[in-house]
Amino acid sequence: MTYGIRSLGRLWRYDRGLLLAYGLVAAFLLVFVVAPLMRVAFEPTVADWRQVFSTPRWRSASLNTLTMLVLSTGSSLLVGTLYAYAVTRARVPGAGFFGVVPLFLLLTPPFVAGLAFILLLGRRGLVTYQLLGLETSIYGWHGLWLAQTLSFFPVAYLVLRGSFAAIDPGLEQAARGLGASRAQVLRTVTLPLATPGLLAAALFIAIGILGDFGNPMLVGGRFQVLATAVYTQLSGWASFGTSAALGLLLLAPAVLLFAAQQWVQGATRERFATVGGRGSSLPTPTVSPWLRWGLFAFCVLVTLFVVASHGVVLMGAFTHLWGVDFQPTLEHVAYVLGQFGGLGNSLRFAAAAALLCTAVAAVAAYLVQRAKVPLRRGLDLATLLPAAIPGTLMGVAFVLAFNNPSFKLTGTASIIVIAMSVSYLPVGYRICAAAMDQLKPSLDESAANLGASKLRVLTTITAPLVRQALAAAFVFCFVRSVGTLSTVIFLVSFDTPLASVAILNLADQGRWGRAAALASALVAVTMLSIGLLYLVTGRSLKPLAESAHAGA
Amino acid sequence: MPAPEAGRGAAHVRLVGLRKAFGAAVAVDDFSLDIGRGTFTTLLGPSGSGKTTVLRMLAGFVEPDAGSVIIDGVDQTGRPPNLRGTGMVFQDYALFPHMNVRANVEYGLRMQRFDKGARRERVERALELLGLGGLAGRFPHELSGGQQQRVALGRVIVLEPQVLLMDEPLSNLDAKLRVRLRAELKSLQRQLGITTVYVTHDQEEALSLSDQVVVIDKGRAQQVGAPEAIYRRPANRFVAEFVGQANLLPVVANADARGAGPAGAGGTAPRSQAPEDRASTEAAVWATAAGRRLLVRLPDERRPGAGAAGTALARPEHVRLAHRDEADAASEDRSWRCRAKVVSRGFFGAYSRYWLELDGVPDLWLADVPLPELGGEETSAFEPGASVTVRLNAGAACWLW
Repeated sequence: MTYGIRSLGRLWRYDRGLLLAYGLVAAFLLVFVVAPLMRVAFEPTVADWRQVFSTPRWRSASLNTLTMLVLSTGSSLLVGTLYAYAVTRARVPGAGFFGVVPLFLLLTPPFVAGLAFILLLGRRGLVTYQLLGLETSIYGWHGLWLAQTLSFFPVAYLVLRGSFAAIDPGLEQAARGLGASRAQVLRTVTLPLATPGLLAAALFIAIGILGDFGNPMLVGGRFQVLATAVYTQLSGWASFGTSAALGLLLLAPAVLLFAAQQWVQGATRERFATVGGRGSSLPTPTVSPWLRWGLFAFCVLVTLFVVASHGVVLMGAFTHLWGVDFQPTLEHVAYVLGQFGGLGNSLRFAAAAALLCTAVAAVAAYLVQRAKVPLRRGLDLATLLPAAIPGTLMGVAFVLAFNNPSFKLTGTASIIVIAMSVSYLPVGYRICAAAMDQLKPSLDESAANLGASKLRVLTTITAPLVRQALAAAFVFCFVRSVGTLSTVIFLVSFDTPLASVAILNLADQGRWGRAAALASALVAVTMLSIGLLYLVTGRSLKPLAESAHAGA
Repeated sequence: MPAPEAGRGAAHVRLVGLRKAFGAAVAVDDFSLDIGRGTFTTLLGPSGSGKTTVLRMLAGFVEPDAGSVIIDGVDQTGRPPNLRGTGMVFQDYALFPHMNVRANVEYGLRMQRFDKGARRERVERALELLGLGGLAGRFPHELSGGQQQRVALGRVIVLEPQVLLMDEPLSNLDAKLRVRLRAELKSLQRQLGITTVYVTHDQEEALSLSDQVVVIDKGRAQQVGAPEAIYRRPANRFVAEFVGQANLLPVVANADARGAGPAGAGGTAPRSQAPEDRASTEAAVWATAAGRRLLVRLPDERRPGAGAAGTALARPEHVRLAHRDEADAASEDRSWRCRAKVVSRGFFGAYSRYWLELDGVPDLWLADVPLPELGGEETSAFEPGASVTVRLNAGAACWLW
């Protein structure tokens, strides 16, 4: 502690620029991460808690949430892992093409899956009603399960692709050489080495599902989960105490998972240190033809599903009245053209959030990793903390913290931007920290030796050398912010409409055409922006793939 | 430990009682050193000896737990690396990969806010001085190891630092290039007259480059002195064995030890004796080893008492070999001799090295025999298993404290 104060004193004497950056980042984390959490934690009264636990509706919502958490996380992990294995290790035919499909999914907001399911399998769905003449619907737990699996398996795919790719094929060949069968190699070498990645992916997915709001709203039907309960409680009844209590219920499993993942990551880091980094020229060992063609069929199925789900949304955008009148029309496109405000806001806010997120993440990573400032453990934890907070709870916390008259930010654009950037800060931070970890310490030292202050080391040496990672963090935060719903739905106002919220409302009102058109337009402009960014910076699609290593 | 010898100029850098521990491991302990202005000082030691930690404390990358670094009379304690005026060349060069040669060399001037004209002029001069003129636009990965090394040096000297620090700067180069750059480094340092502190584990580098060598082991300075003094009069067994090869000989000082004259008085002078070396006039003592009398030089002012048992050091190039019968024929001189058996032989180009078992001596000895000028390497060679006589001239051995 005295050491910390002494070195802060040295920073004050010699490196005020860095101290200022430190102060700004610390203040940002305190005000926008720690304080809202404290605020929401102390909001519910004893009566609120009693009410939450005694109301049957909410008890079943808790149970539903837990069921959905286990089912969807498990299925997303399974699909993502199989898919990643098929693309990286089994080398199915067309692996290059199949490898891009989930990346495409990551570019689309998660709730697009829910929307697509309604159009395909809903009460008036293309498959259920038109083809099979069924009056059944997917609304309910099974529909939600399917939608969440489709939305979240790309996360598992991305993380595990990184893990699989980092495994030195030499290890697998050595195991084969020692007499292990292919199945034994998979069980005893490949999967154990991918365990840290599996856990990281599980954490990402589980916390995403806990806080996800769009899909339960769209396809959950009567199957209520905590996230939707929080929303109705807050927006419908303005009951801060109970909504905070319900949101906090989400925090318990999230924090448990977060702690477990941190522990496993710490425990395996040293042991698995030999796995990463070194590109091997050895070919990956072959898998049996049965497995290979089985995986190929699996990839085809998933891809067809993805194409159908997104194709149907695009189709819905040009259809007069889905399920009733399939006349092609441009009326929804015309509607979208009148909705440029929401679209423009989504893009502008997401870009601002991505900029803010990248800046805070890069400075925090530099302070923790390279500058070795005092109290860096706390800084590290505060930056990673949002990863454990389900989006819905974050939304309630922001409303509570920034709705008081003296410090009123709700309804402004800045609070939306800040909420978006805080949500994706942990991923951005991991991307930056991993990249900085790769830099030789002597680079910083020689810059300092040549007269650069630590702040200038960051701006002239570290940041330019990790610019790929910075771009990856920016792209990730931008894409996710465009499609985010869980947190911002509590924060939008009449003056700050967002496309994602508008789509949800349209779908909720049964205006499928408009919802589909707006969703398609959102996906299109997102991709256009990313494309433009790459054109301007002249980079390949590498940064997006790099973000895969964030969790691994 | 003998007192530090005075350098060429007044003390420019003073290290006073430095101590640094990393957890329970003490890296540097009670380390003091005066470094003269314009001199070349080498910190020589095995890996883990603490030599790099001393250098990093000088540069400000490591804060000492105790003691201080004083440059030009100013205590540097607590001052960050960017304000110390020390220029460091790193072992891995640490060139900035996103900048070309010119930008790398200019970097420090930019950080220290030199104006544009001064920057350009200084960069040109530095590039010229190091023969990098044609490479200004290249990026580090487009340069050879030697060129990268030059850029790393140019990037530092362009700032005209008070003190130049080098951390094993030649260890990543191949042997030939290393020797060539060593010579260039030395002449550049002379030309610029810059106070230099150099860290290496290579004794040859240390001996050939330095005005002053500091042998470090276990975080402490074992001996400070001129290269010749370190080699000829090592302060202890560690120094003797780390710098050069050491043959160890158990000896007992004779009763008449105190009356001994200068070492050079009786026997023939050792071959490699440098003219300025004080060895020929230093004190010596008569001792007995393996049953024969031997004149042993004394490295410092300490004197062994009569009958004191100790160890003497003989360097391999001072060990003379002869076939048993020849040696007996020429037995009238005052040199020390001992029967030995050749264990093995290695050819090193300029000399042949023999591994020997001496009668009554526990450790294996080495003898380096230079290649004769006229052919007949076969006749002068001793085969493994051969019985030989080992001879040491008076004063070839040095008392090891």
